[in-house]
Amino acid sequence: MSGGPPKALPSTGPHSLRDMPHPLAGSSSEEAVGGDSTPSPDLLMARSFGDKDLILPNGGTPADTSSPASSSSLLNRLQLDDDIDGETRDLFVTVDDPKKHVCTMETYITYRITTKSTRVEFDLPEYSVRRRYQDFDWLRSKLEESQPTHLIPPLPEKFVVKGVVDRFSEEFVETRRKALDKFLKRITDHPVLSFNEHFNVFLTAKDLNAYKKQGMALLSRVGESVKHVTGGYKLRSRPLEFAAIGEYLDTFALKLGTIDRIAQRIIKEEIEYLVELREYGPVYSTWSALEGELAEPLEGVSACIGNCSTALEELTDDMTEDFLPVLREYILYSDSMKNVLKKRDQVQAEYEAKLEAVALRKEDRPKVPADVEKCQDRMECFNADLKADMERWQNNKRQDFRQLLMGMADRNIQYYEKCLMAWESIIPLLQEKQEAK
Amino acid sequence: MEQPPLEPERQLQPAPVEPLGCPDAELEAAVSEEGEGGLEEVSEDRTMTENNFWLKKIEISVSEAEKRTGRNAMNMQETYTAYLIETRSVEHIDGQSILTDSLWRRYSEFELLRNYLLVFYPHIVVPPLPEKRAEFVWHKLSADNMDPDFVERRRIGLENFLLRVASHPVLCRDKIFYLFLTQEGNWKETVNETGFQLKADSRLKALNATFRVKNPDKRFTELKHYSDELQSVISHLLRVRARVADRLYGVYKVHGNYGRVFSEWSAIEKEMGDGLQSAGHHMDVYASSIDDILEDEEHYADQLKEYLFYAEALRAVCRKHELMQYDLEMAAQDLASKKQQCEELATGTVRTFSLKGMTTKLFGQETPEQREARIKVLEEQINEGEQQLKCKNLEGREFVKNAWADIERFKEQKNHDLKEALISYAVMQISMCKKGIQVWTNAKECFSKM
Repeated sequence: MSGGPPKALPSTGPHSLRDMPHPLAGSSSEEAVGGDSTPSPDLLMARSFGDKDLILPNGGTPADTSSPASSSSLLNRLQLDDDIDGETRDLFVTVDDPKKHVCTMETYITYRITTKSTRVEFDLPEYSVRRRYQDFDWLRSKLEESQPTHLIPPLPEKFVVKGVVDRFSEEFVETRRKALDKFLKRITDHPVLSFNEHFNVFLTAKDLNAYKKQGMALLSRVGESVKHVTGGYKLRSRPLEFAAIGEYLDTFALKLGTIDRIAQRIIKEEIEYLVELREYGPVYSTWSALEGELAEPLEGVSACIGNCSTALEELTDDMTEDFLPVLREYILYSDSMKNVLKKRDQVQAEYEAKLEAVALRKEDRPKVPADVEKCQDRMECFNADLKADMERWQNNKRQDFRQLLMGMADRNIQYYEKCLMAWESIIPLLQEKQEAK
Repeated sequence: MEQPPLEPERQLQPAPVEPLGCPDAELEAAVSEEGEGGLEEVSEDRTMTENNFWLKKIEISVSEAEKRTGRNAMNMQETYTAYLIETRSVEHIDGQSILTDSLWRRYSEFELLRNYLLVFYPHIVVPPLPEKRAEFVWHKLSADNMDPDFVERRRIGLENFLLRVASHPVLCRDKIFYLFLTQEGNWKETVNETGFQLKADSRLKALNATFRVKNPDKRFTELKHYSDELQSVISHLLRVRARVADRLYGVYKVHGNYGRVFSEWSAIEKEMGDGLQSAGHHMDVYASSIDDILEDEEHYADQLKEYLFYAEALRAVCRKHELMQYDLEMAAQDLASKKQQCEELATGTVRTFSLKGMTTKLFGQETPEQREARIKVLEEQINEGEQQLKCKNLEGREFVKNAWADIERFKEQKNHDLKEALISYAVMQISMCKKGIQVWTNAKECFSKM
């Protein structure tokens, strides 16, 4: 094995990364920004280096896999800190405008996908197409097939229990839209995935169905080769770092599952609390009707409790729509990542088996046979891609969770602030001297 | 009106409208104060009596509660709680308080005192006792009478009762009340000797009067209606509030689980670990804060409960009025029929059916002498009846006047107290909100450092 993967450019370190707004963040991430957000000199260097590579003839798709330092993996590692600054970004994708379509056979929702890009891979600077969930599902499968060495972002859950959740309710559609938007943005930010052919077609094709029927025509060589790695090879020893990733993902998924259950339980308790509050407030009103001097104060308390109830309802709605889905996404994400890890194990196992077979043949060949070399390359490429993607994933995960948890804290703060305002405003009313009736 | 000297029995009835020298509305009952009740009672009673109790300022407190075992009336062993009542007099000059009396009473003795007051002061809205058994509890609170929290809240409630009585312009002068505070032994016998149990109006009589009275004072009818509604609405309020407390408890406590899972999660994270860990700590703080919050809210519930029970006291005054009015109506009716009988006898016309008329028909007319005798008896009875009616009328009017004065006093007190209760409830809510904001702001800070 000649040389390891090339060393990544000096990292800017976790500190400055934290100071920058996450590419997926909305305006609320302004708060997350700590100090100043001008990129450090290191980053600037990385960016320009990355730019040069972007203009490679085949745009970075892993056509040439002979060297572990394939342009794609290099790109991947270099562009770790790159997507942050909007200046270098040349692809913008948005999902919005959900619409309901009623047909004889079925009813479904489509979303508008708007793409703006200066990349050469796009004929036009702007595209607007309509896609439904099925199409996203198709895209994801294709990406998994064609880029098996990379971590593909998760989609929101496919199936919903009919009758329990209304697939066409505003809340459900909006939650799904946000998740689909996030899915595409994650792909957009990925230096390799964003150049994927299928992704391009998804964003631009007028008739996606026609393209779908073409099938495997554009499968890349890596995809092809990895796809044909059969199971059945036993892994000798997993490199420490991948074992560690596997263990990490296991525990991570477990903890997220627990947090999901806790969050659901809290929402349930809050809803039950809300039910009681909605009965509690009006009783003060009823009492107020009996009284003279106390009528206004009691009515005031009733209105106050009503305001708190409304604030609580907003809190539970927000948590249901914004918090839970993101948690679930990450659980799905780690599941799919574990599958990629398994595939990597398989690739390594195949290589090891073939290598052993050669050694056993006891031929004094100075040169390692070509197919064994291919296996080695495949494995090293996979390792490099995966490592880079993991690092990227870790950083994004950190940003996402910071935003998610800060969002949760924010919503609770807002809830209490609304209640505080309501109660503070009735103190003067309660203290007021009433005119004798 | 001169205040007659206090006798060992009781005050004379009816009690004077304006209590001599007792300040009225300025007196504030110290409601549910912990420890010493800060009540001052000043009497400017110029009458020199043996028991010049009220010349000095006094402070009353129910300072302790103790579990006791003893034997009850059926010689069976029982456990009960005894409460220590301490009375202090405050010297005018230097403000120092000296303990003048200290004795132990149990709940049943408080009940005895109150029942006595109800009988001898039917025109007064008599302050209620704290509940005998814990009601409107939410799940964490115990419904057990021996539970220390319940005992503590009852101690406060009993102190409040004594302070209410002591601050009432009429009730404060009662001898039995004085003895309750000062004479430990023999007090029960003394109360029973007043014969109040015999004097009490029977329930059946009262019920009958309520149904049959024709012309009660409208104000009392309205007041009765009001107290029914008040009782209903406060009960409902307390029930729902208990459920609200239950749910709120659940919400806070579940957040405690975040503490544990964040801690576990932080173990596998490098950069995120510290932020998660410290945020988890704040979640624990949040979860445990609910205990104190809800304990404070019980205080509010107790204030509402007092007025729930006051509704019953209001109803009692209304019932007494109805009884007296009915009594008056019956007496008037009786008088009217006697007068008519007399008239018939005198004029010889029999317009109404009477037994005498029947027997006359059957057995023959009575003699003029007999008739004269009967007329004379009737005239005597009519005279007596008219005197009695005058008396009853006067009594009735006095009652209405005195009762209504106390009711007005009560209304003022109620409006003031409930407003204070609502204000303190709002203050509690504000404090809870501020705590919530604090905790979540701290957690957010930790998350931002992830």
